[in-house]
Amino acid sequence: MLSVKNLHASVDGKEILRGIDLEVRAGEVHAIMGPNGSGKSTLASVLAGNEKFTVTEGSATFFGKDLLSMSIEDRARAGLFLGFQYPVEIPGVTMANFMKLAVNEQRKYRGEEPLTAAEFLRLMREKSAIVELSSKLTSRAVNEGFSGGEKKKNEIFQMAMLDPKLAILDETDSGLDIDALRIVATGVTKLHTPENATVVITHYQRLLDYIVPDVVHVLYKGRIIHTGDKTLALRLEKEGYDWLINAYEER
Amino acid sequence: MAKLLIEIRILVASKILRLGKKCKQVCFFALDFTYLCTIILLEMAENEKELLETLQEQEYKYGFTTDIETETIGKGLSEEVVRLISAKKGEPDWMTERRVAAYRHWLTLTPPTWAHLDIPAIDFQDIIYYAAPKQPKKGGSFDDIDPELKRTFDKLGIPLEEQLALSGVAVDAVMDSVSVKTTFKKTLSEKGIIFCSISEALRDHPDLVKKYLGSVVPYTDNFYAALNAAVFSDGSFCYIPKGVRCPMELSTYFRINAAGTGQFERTLIVADEGAYVSYLEGCTAPRRDENQLHAAVVEIVVERDAEVKYSTVQNWYPGDKEGRGGVYNFVTKRGICRENARLSWTQVETGSAITWKYPSCILAGDRSVGEFYSVAMTNNRQQADTGTKMIHIGRDTRSRIVSKGISAGCSQNAYRGLVRVAKGAENARNFSQCDSLLIGDRCGAHTFPELDVRNRSAIVEHEATTSKISDDQLFYCNQRGLSTEDAVGLIVNGYAREVLAKLPMEFAVEAQKLLALQLEGSVG
Amino acid sequence: MNGLDDSIRSFRRIEEGRLRIEREESAPFVAVDPAGLEIEVAADAAARLVIVHREAADTPVNVRIRLQEKARLTLTEVFLAPATVEMNLKQAAHSASRITTLQLAGADAAYRTELDGGQAESVLHGLFLVGGNEHGSVRLHTAHNVADCRSESLVKGVAGGTATGRFEGLVYVAPDAQRTDAQQQSRNVLLSDTARIDTLPQLEIYADDVKCSHGATVGRMDDEAILYMRQRGLSEAAARRLQLEGFAADVVRHCGIEPLCETLMEAVAEKMNEL
Repeated sequence: MLSVKNLHASVDGKEILRGIDLEVRAGEVHAIMGPNGSGKSTLASVLAGNEKFTVTEGSATFFGKDLLSMSIEDRARAGLFLGFQYPVEIPGVTMANFMKLAVNEQRKYRGEEPLTAAEFLRLMREKSAIVELSSKLTSRAVNEGFSGGEKKKNEIFQMAMLDPKLAILDETDSGLDIDALRIVATGVTKLHTPENATVVITHYQRLLDYIVPDVVHVLYKGRIIHTGDKTLALRLEKEGYDWLINAYEER
Repeated sequence: MAKLLIEIRILVASKILRLGKKCKQVCFFALDFTYLCTIILLEMAENEKELLETLQEQEYKYGFTTDIETETIGKGLSEEVVRLISAKKGEPDWMTERRVAAYRHWLTLTPPTWAHLDIPAIDFQDIIYYAAPKQPKKGGSFDDIDPELKRTFDKLGIPLEEQLALSGVAVDAVMDSVSVKTTFKKTLSEKGIIFCSISEALRDHPDLVKKYLGSVVPYTDNFYAALNAAVFSDGSFCYIPKGVRCPMELSTYFRINAAGTGQFERTLIVADEGAYVSYLEGCTAPRRDENQLHAAVVEIVVERDAEVKYSTVQNWYPGDKEGRGGVYNFVTKRGICRENARLSWTQVETGSAITWKYPSCILAGDRSVGEFYSVAMTNNRQQADTGTKMIHIGRDTRSRIVSKGISAGCSQNAYRGLVRVAKGAENARNFSQCDSLLIGDRCGAHTFPELDVRNRSAIVEHEATTSKISDDQLFYCNQRGLSTEDAVGLIVNGYAREVLAKLPMEFAVEAQKLLALQLEGSVG
Repeated sequence: MNGLDDSIRSFRRIEEGRLRIEREESAPFVAVDPAGLEIEVAADAAARLVIVHREAADTPVNVRIRLQEKARLTLTEVFLAPATVEMNLKQAAHSASRITTLQLAGADAAYRTELDGGQAESVLHGLFLVGGNEHGSVRLHTAHNVADCRSESLVKGVAGGTATGRFEGLVYVAPDAQRTDAQQQSRNVLLSDTARIDTLPQLEIYADDVKCSHGATVGRMDDEAILYMRQRGLSEAAARRLQLEGFAADVVRHCGIEPLCETLMEAVAEKMNEL
């Protein structure tokens, strides 16, 4: 599904990603962990196409297509979803209108007919239940005045609406209390199918109690320095990153 | 006799109009109608099925051309021309003398220069002051109207005939300077409502016109008001009698057609004690390379306990990208509120090369309320200096100002406002919110309010902010699959939403479309 | 105004109308009734300056101030008499000015600040108290001529008797002055129905990536606070007085010279007795 080879990226001339290799196949859940400043959020932004970052080397393909040559919106329409760490507020723009446009743009991209009002309404109702998002929130402006937890739930709600092939969730657990974390995480789990894949970027093991990863990567200084199975996350929780970093630096 | 080219771009979707009548209570939620009616649906679970069919399809119709014969007089302005206009319209002597007095006063004035506008010198002798579609004999039935013109209106979607009954809108269409036909007169007259052209009003209701015309905007008010008082050729007159709630929205469409003509329409609305009316005004003009002058006056009298809502969607031709051509829109609009009366101005200004316009409220009566909701968008080389005046004179008067400026391209957009609390205006309240949105780094956004307070019990507040569409917002929308253009349209409509919500629904639809159209090519 | 005399006695007097600051000066300077002033603060230098107008002046007093790179100036201007002052401030990159202006008599004070270098910063706090038939006005013109500058102003006005107070404030943001941060507030209170406040906060903006806002209010003081204070035993008059002093203190406390602040606060209280 996603194939990243030797990806280098920089911002303002400073190299953040220094050769990332990553293969994600349908049905998989990947976790990307690592200390602050290791490049986790940059990786997510670069894959989504944030123009702030310049790709200097390497390649990324998504279902065989050259991801890096696609616009942000085409990547999204092709089924790549980024759950933002800090979802932006868009005053006055209601969630319903926003999602209506987004859903129908995706359908247009796939050559499908736009949803009718009734179908869309049904979809909204159905999907908002997944993250226990109050229907009041969906009639409000996008993220405006939402609490931290509501914003994150809203991200997962949008993920449910757009039904992506690949969801990259950037620190979706940050700023969540335990109940919100459970709701968000079980929401993500419910959306997981053998046909799609999820990449979870996180600091903590606690999210991975709910979203069980098949593969865990450790990112450090813009490189994946170690890859293991779900037990790696547990060990990191107990022992921290030092043992990995030391081994890496010695090399 | 000149041939006229008519190119109509504005449209009212009659389907929506009909719907509007059916579910008035939910229309308020249908702000982002262009993008679909989900909100309505969310808000009303019951009626879903019935509504859905109507909602699924909204279409806009575009340009077409028509030829119509007009009658004009020669270019230039003099006392003779003023008298000739009056004579052409068969006006009573007092009216002729008022015009002449206004003209003489106008000669002593110079155009105002205080606005943040760069106005090229206007040659007032190079303008045709009277141009009228050739009309059949007076008092004829609807069928006597030039069939070409009638077809035009049919295409326009201005619902002149029976669809009116469904949509609940009565229309007075002013082509160039003469009111072509006022529809729905009969239904209205049963309630005692007078809705006709100023010319007809002068003929049929001279006492009312004599009493109110010039009572809110005297010809001494300003340069353009004096000019208008001298040469106005037509406009709409509306009188709602005591205690009558006008059952439908009244609407006037203005249009400049003939080349080289100015338009000087005059609107007079009188809501007698306890009356209510919602009035809509739409404007269009064809593309022309030269500039055209539009100097209108709107006067509104809101008697005790009465309420008037006045909505404008102004889409005069703005000129081309380099600033060639376009309408100069120099308009004086003002209303006076008596005791417990309420006047609400809502305007969406997207057109005109230059806009100079300050719809104002004189809150003369105790407990009267004035409101001003405005979206002014400028693009390319457009200039706008627009805002309002709220003059608090009575006790316990309240006013509210919401202004949303949007500047793009190389345009200049200014809000100018005055809130005055007079000495005796105990417990006056005003709140003003004036926001500017800048799109691109070559435009200007300016805010020039004045608060002049002479009573210590007053509370007057003004706030202004500026913002731009952030890259983060665009990235977020792009990431969810929206094109940048759609994202900008969405964000701009969201930004203007508070004002668009004040428009009657069919106007809100039109306004949103206009905002998006005006922004085409300004981002990216 | 003996208190004021005492507090400025120890300050260094500027007599010849000219001053050049070369280094970081710890003791404040003072100019009393200057006919005109020219002040230059050299790069990296810093100074505190007090200007007192105690006599009415017929001709406008021109004050020209230049701040070189990274220069800092704290200026307190006090009007005890109706003088007319036109101040021109030019600021180079990374310089900072802090102005506090206090009108205890109807004066006409105009401050024109040109932010000509990146990261320059201008902060101004003003207060005018006018009563009787006085007329006081504060005019600001803050020009962001280059990118990345910051300006902040708060001007408060109190008018009683048949006095009139006027505030005009223009924030100008030049084309390409991106990332400008400009905030302006005008807060006013009327004490009588024969007094008048006229306030014109203005924004003129020609760049899009800016954070600019202004606000203005004219109104009476918060009645709930009065009730609260009365419930704790204050008379209504005392409560109102306290509230008004608090309103003024918010400006005075910015003057930057500790003992002077107290003296000025006393002067404000004294003036309030006349309102």
